[in-house]
Amino acid sequence: MTAKAADGKEVFKTERHYHPQATNCKDNKMLYGAQVKTQYIRDTSLQPFETKAESFEIPLPEGVRAVDVTVSLTYEINKPDNKIEIFKVTRKVALDR
Amino acid sequence: MRIMLLLLIAAVVVMPLSNVEAQKAKSIDELAKMFDSSQCKSCHAEIYAQWENSHHARSLMGVQDGLMMTPLAKKGSTPFSPDDPKKATLKTFPCFKCHLPQAVAHAEDSFAVEYAEALLAGDKAKVGKLKITCIVCHNEKAIIHKLSDGYPEKGVLYGSKDIASHPDATFKKVKKSQIMDHAIMCGQCHGLGPNLEFENPVQCATLYGSYEHNYLSKGGQQQCQECHMQKINGKADHLIAPNWNDLEGTKKLLQNAIAMDVQTVGYEWLRKGGDLRPMIVVNTKINQNAGHRIPDG
Repeated sequence: MTAKAADGKEVFKTERHYHPQATNCKDNKMLYGAQVKTQYIRDTSLQPFETKAESFEIPLPEGVRAVDVTVSLTYEINKPDNKIEIFKVTRKVALDR
Repeated sequence: MRIMLLLLIAAVVVMPLSNVEAQKAKSIDELAKMFDSSQCKSCHAEIYAQWENSHHARSLMGVQDGLMMTPLAKKGSTPFSPDDPKKATLKTFPCFKCHLPQAVAHAEDSFAVEYAEALLAGDKAKVGKLKITCIVCHNEKAIIHKLSDGYPEKGVLYGSKDIASHPDATFKKVKKSQIMDHAIMCGQCHGLGPNLEFENPVQCATLYGSYEHNYLSKGGQQQCQECHMQKINGKADHLIAPNWNDLEGTKKLLQNAIAMDVQTVGYEWLRKGGDLRPMIVVNTKINQNAGHRIPDG
């Protein structure tokens, strides 16, 4: 999720990662690769019929009264640069009416 | 006496054939030939074409032909990796359990040596010969209650209905499978969790575990096949999506399963008297209605 001011400057950026995470159970380092993974240590994936809710608070820098917010939900296949953008929502959000 | 003589002659004629069938594949070509399903294409062209584009038809190639088992063949890369590919055995590749189940029962260690060498050479053409073919699902993996129902019969395919006379030189009969349209058919390979039967545990797909414990428990009642093998022209789609190499098709599948809602507000938050702070709030809600976690594995 990003928020950009009218001049294009990024004023906020954050990510959430939803996926099961595994180790080899011999230490606490996360691993990828079926041949070395042994057990999930944490699972933040999207579960059936469950809602994953987030609330992002973005304090605006001085002088910025409006931003373009972009929320992008992507699915990474194997590696971060091989991804599918499932949804992308862009909204202009302003303080002034 | 004449009948006994005929039986004896018949036994002599049949025995060598049985021995050949019992032999295990020593090479990639031998195993590929043993489970070759190309004869299915002439009558089941549409289904065959779907399967040819599926990951089942390239089960050892990984996503976008990545040869994902290469670390297993590479010295020091995994606990299974041999010092020398010539020392590879079937045990070097625990992933065969699902990615090439026919190798477990029908191949010798020499097959694993050739496979390890092909991986290290990056020989995609050779590795690509190995597939989860029609015969694997419709015979080899078609019966799970082997004690009560017996092992899959030679010359018999298993499908959605009985066909007394199937016009094929090898598979002359089709029997109705008890499980072919149930999730457990897929669950044989698409995973409950860690595979602890190996000398070192491995964990790949856990979709079936997710289905069992976190989909059924919430009232979900569909089988895997109802979403992943939806009927086209009255027949189950054997692409068995997703096809991870088809990013656009996969995107549509994900969009069908997932919903995202975004709500925003801009205001001035009053921290204390006279201290108004400009604030934007973005609330997101993501739901999904698939029969398993997204993503898995």
